[in-house]
Amino acid sequence: MSDHHRVTKRCPVCFSRDIDVLLTSRDGIWACVKCSFNGTEAEIRGMYRDIQKKYHGMIERYTLDDQRKL
Amino acid sequence: MMKLNIFHRTDPGRYEIFKQQQDLVHSLGMKTSIFLHYFDLFQDHIVADALAYQEEFGDEIGLALNRLEGPGMDDISRGLEHIWLFDEEQKRQLMEMALSKFKAVFGRMPTAVTSYHFDSSALRILKEIVPEVEGLVGGCFEEGVRVFHGCNHSWYLFNEGMPWGPWFPAKGHTLRPAADEQDWSGVVAVPHLARDMSLSYEGRNDFWASHPPNVIRGMGNDASFCPYDLNLIDQYRMQADFNGHTYYNTFVGTQWLTWNHNSEYPPEVSWDLYTKQLTYFKELKDQGELDDLTLTEYALWHKENRPMAEPEVYLAKEMLYQSHKHYFWHIDPDLRVLIDANQGGSIGDLRAYIGRVEKATGPDTPSRENGAYPYLIQSQYRTGYPNHSFDGSRTTLKLVKNGQEVDLCTTPTKVESIERSSAGSRVVLSPAQIVFPDGGTVEVVTTYAIEPGGKITLTRSLSGDTEDILATEYFKGAPGCTEYPIDLHGIQLQVTDAEATQEMDYLYRRRRLEAERPECVVAIVPQVNSRVMMAPAKGAQPASGLAREGNLFEPYFVLELTYDTNTSTEFSTCLIITA
Repeated sequence: MSDHHRVTKRCPVCFSRDIDVLLTSRDGIWACVKCSFNGTEAEIRGMYRDIQKKYHGMIERYTLDDQRKL
Repeated sequence: MMKLNIFHRTDPGRYEIFKQQQDLVHSLGMKTSIFLHYFDLFQDHIVADALAYQEEFGDEIGLALNRLEGPGMDDISRGLEHIWLFDEEQKRQLMEMALSKFKAVFGRMPTAVTSYHFDSSALRILKEIVPEVEGLVGGCFEEGVRVFHGCNHSWYLFNEGMPWGPWFPAKGHTLRPAADEQDWSGVVAVPHLARDMSLSYEGRNDFWASHPPNVIRGMGNDASFCPYDLNLIDQYRMQADFNGHTYYNTFVGTQWLTWNHNSEYPPEVSWDLYTKQLTYFKELKDQGELDDLTLTEYALWHKENRPMAEPEVYLAKEMLYQSHKHYFWHIDPDLRVLIDANQGGSIGDLRAYIGRVEKATGPDTPSRENGAYPYLIQSQYRTGYPNHSFDGSRTTLKLVKNGQEVDLCTTPTKVESIERSSAGSRVVLSPAQIVFPDGGTVEVVTTYAIEPGGKITLTRSLSGDTEDILATEYFKGAPGCTEYPIDLHGIQLQVTDAEATQEMDYLYRRRRLEAERPECVVAIVPQVNSRVMMAPAKGAQPASGLAREGNLFEPYFVLELTYDTNTSTEFSTCLIITA
C-alpha cells in the first residue's frame, strides 16, 4: 500500500485552527490556498509534531479502572 | 455489559476494502450490520455477498440513505447525498425509490436504515413507507458549527443538541427523546459513532470518536500507536456504573481505509488502528464484557430493556490533553444538561426539550439545513465565562465580600458522586476552595438534583469565612442554534415578590427589574417554547432578585437570586423550566 507520493498534507496553520485545508505543491514548496502559509515537507512535519504537543495524554493508556480513579 | 454495533457500508468503487472489513470482523468471531446504497442494489455480486454474509455470519442487511445515486435517482438528487436536506416531496420520492428496490431485491423491507441525520419529516415518511423499521442510525452527536468550520465551512450537517446514546426519537423533533408512546416516532435511533463527551463539547467532535481513522485526522495518533482509541471504549464502559448498561458502535467507511485527504499516513496505519479497535472488542467479548449485535437486534433489545423516558447520564473525564477535567451530562425527555465541573459546576449547555420545539429540515422549511435542537445555554458558542468583554450564556455562583467578587467559574471542582434512577440524577461536586483578596477562604459544596419535568435543584453549602458574604445564583441565557445570536424580541422578563409581579418585554436596552425578598425571577423565551424560572427552594430566602435584558453587544438575559450568608450558609435554588 505504501506510496509516499500519494500522501496528502493539510495546512499546519489552518489545522492549528481546527480547519482542514489541503496544501498544493510546487517546486518542492507546499502552499495553502486559504492562508499565506508555505513551507517544505520537513517544516510541515515538524509543525504537525508541534500541534501534537498539546496532547499530553496521547501515549497514555487509561484502562477502565484507571478512569474510575481519574 | 457493553452493547456493540459494528456498521459497514458497501462501496462499488472500493469493494475490496469493504470485503476486507467484513473478513476482519468475521475472523474475530463478530458480526456486522451492512448497509447497501440504492446503487449497490443493482450489483448482483454485492447482493449475493450480502446474502452470504447474512447466512454464514448472522450479519444484518440494511439500507444506507447516505449516498443517493443510481438509475432514476440522479435526476432527483442532482448530487445531493443527504436525505434530510431535500424537500418533503423529494424525500418521499427518493425513499420510495430506494425502498421499493430493496424489497424487489431481498423480498422484504429493511428493518435497519442509516443516514447521518433524520429530521422529523424524513423519519415520518420512512415509517409510513416501512412501518417495520426498527433501528436507525439517526444523528451525529454535536456535529454542527465546529465540523462546519473544520471542513472549511463546507459540511452542512447541523444536528447538535441530541442524545449521545441510543434513544427513542420524538415525532416532532427526532433529536429529542420521546416522553411517551404517543410522542414516539416508532423507531430506536443510535448515534452515528460514540463521541468523546469532553472534546465534543470543547471542539471538533468528528476527530474524537469511535472511529480510528478520524482520530488520525485529529492527529491523536503516533503512527500505529494510539491508546486513545481504546481509552474511549473504556470511558463508555465506565458509564455502565451509572446507567446499568452502555452502548458503543463503530462505522468506518471504505474511504477512510485507503489513501484519503484526512490523513498524512499511508493506509496501513488506519487498517492497523481499526484492527486494534476491533481486536479489543473481541477481547471484551471473550471476557463476557461485550455483546455484539446487529442494529435491529440492538433496537429490539433497547425496546425490551430500556424504559421510555428513563434519564441517562454520562461522566466524561478528559484524557487526551491530560487535563482530567470532569463534565457531567444528564438527559431525559425534558432536559439535556451539561455541568462543567472544571468551572465550579457551571451549566455549559442546556437544551430545554420540555419546550417540545418541532423541526423538520429541507428547503421547504424555515430551518432549511439546521436540524439542531436549540439551546438555552451554550458556553462554547456564546462566550460563557468572560475572557474579553462581557460574559455569555452560563450559570455560576458569585460571592461578594467587602465589594470583592469571586466567580465560582474560576474554581475547578470534580464530580465526587453520581446517583441516577428513574426519578432523575443527583451529582455532588468536590468542594470549591475560594480565596478572597483579603485572604479569607470559603469552601463551597455544590449538589445538583435533576428531575424529569424540567426541574434542577441546586444546593450550595458554604463553610469557612462566610461572614458578610452575598452569594448570587446567576443564570445567563440566550436561545440559539449556532454561534451567532438570534433575535431576542418576544422574550419577557418577570420578577415576583410577595406584593406583585413586575414585567418587561425584551427591547435590548439593558434595563433591569429588581425586588427584595423575591419569590421568583422568570424569563419567558418563546424561541424555545420555554419559561425559565429561578426560585428559592423550600426553606431558602433570597435577600434580592433581578431580571435583566442585554443589548446588541450583549444579547442575553440574566436572572439572579442573591442570598445573605449571615442568614444561612446553605441555600437551595430551583431552576424550573416549563413549556
